[in-house]
Amino acid sequence: MSVAEPLEATPAPSPTPVAPAGPDDGVPRRTPVAVRALVGAARFLGRWLASTAVFAVAAFFIVKLIPGDPVEIATGGRLSDEAAQAARGQLGLDDPWTTQLGHYLADLARLDLGTSISTNRPVADDLADRLPTTLQLILLGLGLAVAFALVLSWFVVSRPRNPVSRLMSTYARSAGALPEYVLGVVFVFVFYAQLQWAAAPSGALDPILLPPDPITHVPLLDALLAGRPEVFRSYVDHLVLPLVVLVVAHTAILMKTLIGSLDAAIDEPSTRFRIASGAPYRTIVASIYRRALPPLVVMIGMLFGLFLSGAVVIEALFGLGGLGQYAVSAVTSADVFALRSFLVVVAALSMGVFLLADLVNSIIDPRRQTGIQREEAR
Amino acid sequence: MTAAPAPTDSVLGQTTPTAETTAMARKARRTAPRRTERRGGGAATRVVLATPFALLVLLAVVGPSLANHDPERVTGSTSEAPSGTHYLGTDSNGLDVFSRIVTAARLDMTLAISITVLTTVLGLVIGLLVATGESRRGPLGWTARGAGRLVDMVQAVPILIAGLTAASFFGRSPLVIVLALSLSILPYQLRLMRTEVLWVRREGYVDAARLSGEPTWTVLTRYVLPNAARPTLENSSAVFGMAIIFTAGLGFLGVGIPLPRPEWGSMLAAGVSDALVGRWWSALFPAAAIGLSVLSAALLLSALSPRRR
Repeated sequence: MSVAEPLEATPAPSPTPVAPAGPDDGVPRRTPVAVRALVGAARFLGRWLASTAVFAVAAFFIVKLIPGDPVEIATGGRLSDEAAQAARGQLGLDDPWTTQLGHYLADLARLDLGTSISTNRPVADDLADRLPTTLQLILLGLGLAVAFALVLSWFVVSRPRNPVSRLMSTYARSAGALPEYVLGVVFVFVFYAQLQWAAAPSGALDPILLPPDPITHVPLLDALLAGRPEVFRSYVDHLVLPLVVLVVAHTAILMKTLIGSLDAAIDEPSTRFRIASGAPYRTIVASIYRRALPPLVVMIGMLFGLFLSGAVVIEALFGLGGLGQYAVSAVTSADVFALRSFLVVVAALSMGVFLLADLVNSIIDPRRQTGIQREEAR
Repeated sequence: MTAAPAPTDSVLGQTTPTAETTAMARKARRTAPRRTERRGGGAATRVVLATPFALLVLLAVVGPSLANHDPERVTGSTSEAPSGTHYLGTDSNGLDVFSRIVTAARLDMTLAISITVLTTVLGLVIGLLVATGESRRGPLGWTARGAGRLVDMVQAVPILIAGLTAASFFGRSPLVIVLALSLSILPYQLRLMRTEVLWVRREGYVDAARLSGEPTWTVLTRYVLPNAARPTLENSSAVFGMAIIFTAGLGFLGVGIPLPRPEWGSMLAAGVSDALVGRWWSALFPAAAIGLSVLSAALLLSALSPRRR
């Protein structure tokens, strides 16, 4: 299993790799990378737009299925009959559903996500204000989790008998066992209530500090742009524990995936070929990672959705005030139109990442290009 | 299907790490006789591994009768430490934590088991139909391929967010939660079944059955289904874990089963404010209940399935 073993057992690899560039590169005709990337990007855009349109239509009909009148539900019947009627007219609820669907899709195409019933603000503005906060949490968490997985998996795979790596592979196997909210509560108790290491889980910023002017809406970036290091530090302090929770909750599944595919990639003839032909250790490792990465990339694409779910929970627990908290408050105020737009945006986002993972994989590994359909061809 | 080959089959990951290793394991499995496949310790080990889950089911059955206080009424002063009268203390509203946990066991377990059963059955049936139909021509093929695409899209909606929106649209009832979570967990089971059916379809005995003139339906139900169902059935314990996590997650966000009905997730959320000031019991015990039930399902999986690395 370790890289060292085949190095000593050199006789084994010699007969197998006859192919000119090793079996992993065995593509008959190689289209230039630029062309492949361009075709891939076009496909990606087309599929993403198509699936977003399907999501939008599906969300429309799901909301149509809700029993009762949306205005009545959102306002709790507090409006007078005339006011409710006016609100219905304003939202276009009296039109036939085909007209409503047409207006809705036309609005979506212009990135107009409708108006919230409860706050009376454009939903697109609300989401645009909050999305960067959530993306900051998700992308930092995802980045850290991937970095840890890449390093720790190599440790586990190359030193299988080390007690530390046994411990880590046990952790990897526990993937998904501990949800973020349980970890979050435990960590808040230990690191805030008991040890006082972490900042209070009640907001993204110390209450005495004013948030910086929203320029990019990404809190950390805004603090830097405004030139206020104390605000930046406070943001970081309040972000550490949420990030630790996300990373601890999700690195396991990434490690599990990567350990499995690294194990398989190490034993492939391509590795032996490179060792036998005297390639430097660096090249061998790079080749192993290149062949082992596609499952990880797919998993990252899937994890984005899980991180979105996680962010909803984490924001609720730590009061970070992003997209998740907006959704939860839209639920409590029964704001069905805001939720509908939220659903479409979230689905479009994670579908985008999903397809992006596909695109990245077809660049890393030409065998996985969508036309080839390896899965079916087996 | 768009993105994902085998590695995405289970997010909880208790199955199929990568396409490659699955293929290898499969080769080994196919060539070896069935008996040697189960090396995971003797019957005794397996009974031990299955015990926690059995105890949990028992708790779900007898749970509410173990409660020594009314789980929905104030029965003590607020935030009392565990004692002889309140075994696990009281929460910040003065509700008895022990009584609420054992009462909630039935609700959480019922929801999780319903989700697991529904997801697995639908996954088996639809997976079988999609896998056998998708290579055909005509409307049947279109439907099957369309269903495959649809499943990819359902999977793109994060499970918790699907549950959250469904609960707010159609009401926070157990039925809505079960249906919404089942539908959004379904892709994991369906993909697993589909991949396996695509394999089994090429086996010699399926050809033999077809050549001997068995009708398609019989070939599917008597030969393909029983031989392809195993990974999906095994994965159902991972689905159970997900179901517990997401049901309680909805409760934690305050959009699950409405208060004052005891539910582990909403109990945990209620315990957070106490935990912040060092009173750990009203948060720790619901958290432990969630963690232990997910763990017991994972142990059940290793009791049921062959040994893995």
